Amino acid sequence: MANLSKRGLTTAVICSGPFMKLGQAQARVFGVPDLPLLQIPHPLGGVSIEQVQARAEVAVPQFVKLLKEKTQ
Amino acid sequence: MSKLAQLLQASGASIEAEDDFDSVNALMREKGWSDGLPIVPPTEARVAAMLEYCDRPWDQPIAKIPPRWGEATPLLLAANAVMAGCQPRYFPLFMLAIEAMCEEPLNLYGVQATTHLCAPLVIVNGPVAKELDINSGHNAFGPGHQANATIGRAIRLALINIGGAIPALGDMSTFGSPAKYSYLVAENEDESPWEPLHVERGLPREASAVTVIGAECPHNVNDHESLTAEGVLTTIAGTMGIAGVNDIYYQSQPLVIMGPEHAKMAAAGYTKAEAKRFIQQRAHVAVGKLSRENIDRRVKITFKDRLANPKPDDVVYAVQRPEDLLIAVIGGAGKHSAYVPTFGATLPVTRALKTADGRLAKSVEDFRRR
Repeated sequence: MANLSKRGLTTAVICSGPFMKLGQAQARVFGVPDLPLLQIPHPLGGVSIEQVQARAEVAVPQFVKLLKEKTQ
Repeated sequence: MSKLAQLLQASGASIEAEDDFDSVNALMREKGWSDGLPIVPPTEARVAAMLEYCDRPWDQPIAKIPPRWGEATPLLLAANAVMAGCQPRYFPLFMLAIEAMCEEPLNLYGVQATTHLCAPLVIVNGPVAKELDINSGHNAFGPGHQANATIGRAIRLALINIGGAIPALGDMSTFGSPAKYSYLVAENEDESPWEPLHVERGLPREASAVTVIGAECPHNVNDHESLTAEGVLTTIAGTMGIAGVNDIYYQSQPLVIMGPEHAKMAAAGYTKAEAKRFIQQRAHVAVGKLSRENIDRRVKITFKDRLANPKPDDVVYAVQRPEDLLIAVIGGAGKHSAYVPTFGATLPVTRALKTADGRLAKSVEDFRRR
């Protein structure tokens, strides 16, 4: 993801709450400290299809907003 | 000025502290440079003594440790070895273990950062195990031997201090494990009826080597009654048939540790390869023991060729192929073996102890600066 970001593509990483700090630290390590992290509710495993859908509905608007910002 | 003193001139290479055990430990706790236990202050003199057993450039990284991908130079590793309480002559083996676990197949990033409770298990083979008095017998995984305790601890300190395996930041393990303090043993080659692990994995017998496995803690296999190879191997295989391990969903390489008494009983009827086949065929979990969701979301997808519409009596295997099972002989007297599941998304790495010029080391004294 860091490499794609460095190539100029609009990229983001989706993290659940407890993994945000790890995501931020990894972005710094790989030289893309501003890599967008889209936060969704934890957990990712052991959730129903409806809960998966709900997480997508949280992530998608964040990504759309990011795309709009990048294309302006 | 000594070479070490020159290296310590670099910005951030050293830190001033009061010359007092308690003050140094307070500073280390404040910085987060500890596993929680007191550390031996890494003074310049102690680090210099450790580096006497290093034949590589002290400031050149031998590996990068994830998830921080920190550069593991001999200088930094020596400081961690001092902090852990290592003798200087342990240092070549500690460096080797770090190099091995940073090789790609082990997936140290995953092992470090996962919610799973795994830790890198190091099994030492060859003459250096005896030279350093690494325990392979009674209580090999427990306390009592300086080499096991402190080389294992130095590894953990390097994983924290260089690799950034900090709880809830770089180490997301749901609850960790005691193996994250120290997890290093030797194989009991003298009591093994089979060829040693490092020989089976392609190295000459005279080599000293480490095999690193992204592993859970050992789970005991008690069998005081069996009189045959089939008996003891059946009990081991039966113990491995459990639903909540990662290995049932991966082509991974879990470990069976056989106590010498069990191993000798098994070897009376089977070669090591035959024992692996016997165990693999019988170490399985009936699909009916898995939850409906695990069947739908894992079994039907992972094993779609064989189990697209599984029946309750169909099975998933603890290890997918006989050759994927590792067997090592460890421990003292007693009718016990142990099963060591893995993280799943990891493969063992075996690496020989070699001097900087590429020769197999006969002794840790081969690394000593002259």
